[in-house]
Amino acid sequence: MIRILGIETSCDETALALVTKGGAGELSVEKNEVLSQIIIHKEYGGVVPEVAARKHLEAIFPMLEHEISNEGEGIDAICVTAGPGLPPALRIGVEVAKTLSWLWQKPLIPVSHMEGHIYANWLMEGIKPGFPCLALIVSGGHTELILMRDHGKFERLGETIDDAAGEAFDKAAHMLGLPYPGGSNIAKLAECGNPHAYDFPRALLKDPNLNFSFAGLKTSLLYFLRKHESEITNEKFRKDVAASYQEAIVEVLIKKTARAVAQYRPKSAILAGGVAANTILRQRFLKEIGEFNKLPVSIPPMAYATDNAAMIAAAGCFRFGNEANYTNPLILFANPNLDLTVDVASSFAPSVFAKATTDKLELRQDKGNVPTAI
Amino acid sequence: MTYESHSTEQTKKIAADFSKTLHGGEVIALIGDLGSGKTTFVQGIAEALGSTVRVKSPTFAIMHEYPVTHTLIKKIVHLDLYRFKQSVHLEALALEDEKNDHTVIFLEWPNMVDYLPAQPTQTITFTYKTENERTIEMKEISII
Repeated sequence: MIRILGIETSCDETALALVTKGGAGELSVEKNEVLSQIIIHKEYGGVVPEVAARKHLEAIFPMLEHEISNEGEGIDAICVTAGPGLPPALRIGVEVAKTLSWLWQKPLIPVSHMEGHIYANWLMEGIKPGFPCLALIVSGGHTELILMRDHGKFERLGETIDDAAGEAFDKAAHMLGLPYPGGSNIAKLAECGNPHAYDFPRALLKDPNLNFSFAGLKTSLLYFLRKHESEITNEKFRKDVAASYQEAIVEVLIKKTARAVAQYRPKSAILAGGVAANTILRQRFLKEIGEFNKLPVSIPPMAYATDNAAMIAAAGCFRFGNEANYTNPLILFANPNLDLTVDVASSFAPSVFAKATTDKLELRQDKGNVPTAI
Repeated sequence: MTYESHSTEQTKKIAADFSKTLHGGEVIALIGDLGSGKTTFVQGIAEALGSTVRVKSPTFAIMHEYPVTHTLIKKIVHLDLYRFKQSVHLEALALEDEKNDHTVIFLEWPNMVDYLPAQPTQTITFTYKTENERTIEMKEISII
């Protein structure tokens, strides 16, 4: 059995987790601690990177002290989100992970935040998506279609060329005077609305590629609301607008995913990211991607769909054991534009973990005596 | 100087031409409604300056940084102040730290607040005419 410590600070959740992987490859979550900053960022109407970083810094040490043994006993490796994300926020998690790896002399495994979202689907008992696996990742900052051919082998089939789907929800919420975060508030308003009341544009739907675009949709809503200014306080009108707008987003997401299924014939499909919380998207994904294609599909429960460190540790569980996935803790840095399809460890300086270990041993000859000059 | 654009490609071309006038240290205010072409313009700039990463809307994250491979300019910072209501909140962005000779800063919605930690050196105003028609107006700001 192996036990991985996961650390995630790419956005506005400070998260630590311990995940173990048994002999049969099954994962189990021992600890999954998430401290959300959502209340703090509400005042700004959204996440502010520097504020997020300061809050991570305040939270992460008490969390570590409280949850993890000081000497790192029983932990086989440290796995951290190295990107993509907000630069100052990412740096906190990365620096903490580097320090722990150096101090405890345990391998350091950097992973992509998106890889973590995908591996959230391996955290559920009895579920092991087959390869190739098609992943639709939708969150406030990302909208991507990824084909996973095997563990650690990712191919990007499509992505948003402008706004993420979650952002389209947030902007619409703002225009309708709903509070942050927008997605859940639009979904709530849309519940009793007519999704076919108004026709909002479905960008790139006729394009043969698998890319998304939501900027035009947001613009069309702005001008639509200006034209119907007198109705904006009418509750029925608001519900219909929210439902129709949500329908436009969900339809594009589902149709493009269905197209990817037809083109690539995956053995399984998964939904990941915070927008996976959207009920309509979940229902349509299960039905139109799963049932229609007789394809095994999985959607993580909310706790694993939104940002967390269990998914990061899960990714680490599958990377553990191969030294090519380890990085020297002295040279790792956060990469806000980290690309999932580029081999993560090799996107940093060459992995020289073995050498780093020897260097550390010299520095730490007297155990417990922390070196003063490095 | 005022330009007309009828497509995303034209907006990017105007941006690429504009990028030739940049040498680092500029703070550029981008003014215009949602969907008037601001992010598309920054995409054009980044591509012209050699960014390998696709510029995306900064609304969610507020601030994006893109490394570029230009001889003088090393980084583009793209900010969206749409959600800010008070200047004091801007302190949290530590924008002063980003101001240097190797960086060009693009500020969307600068007029959401009454004080900016980085004063724009020029403004570019985007006007939505019809679905496929925008005007892009560039102005230098003289420092008094």
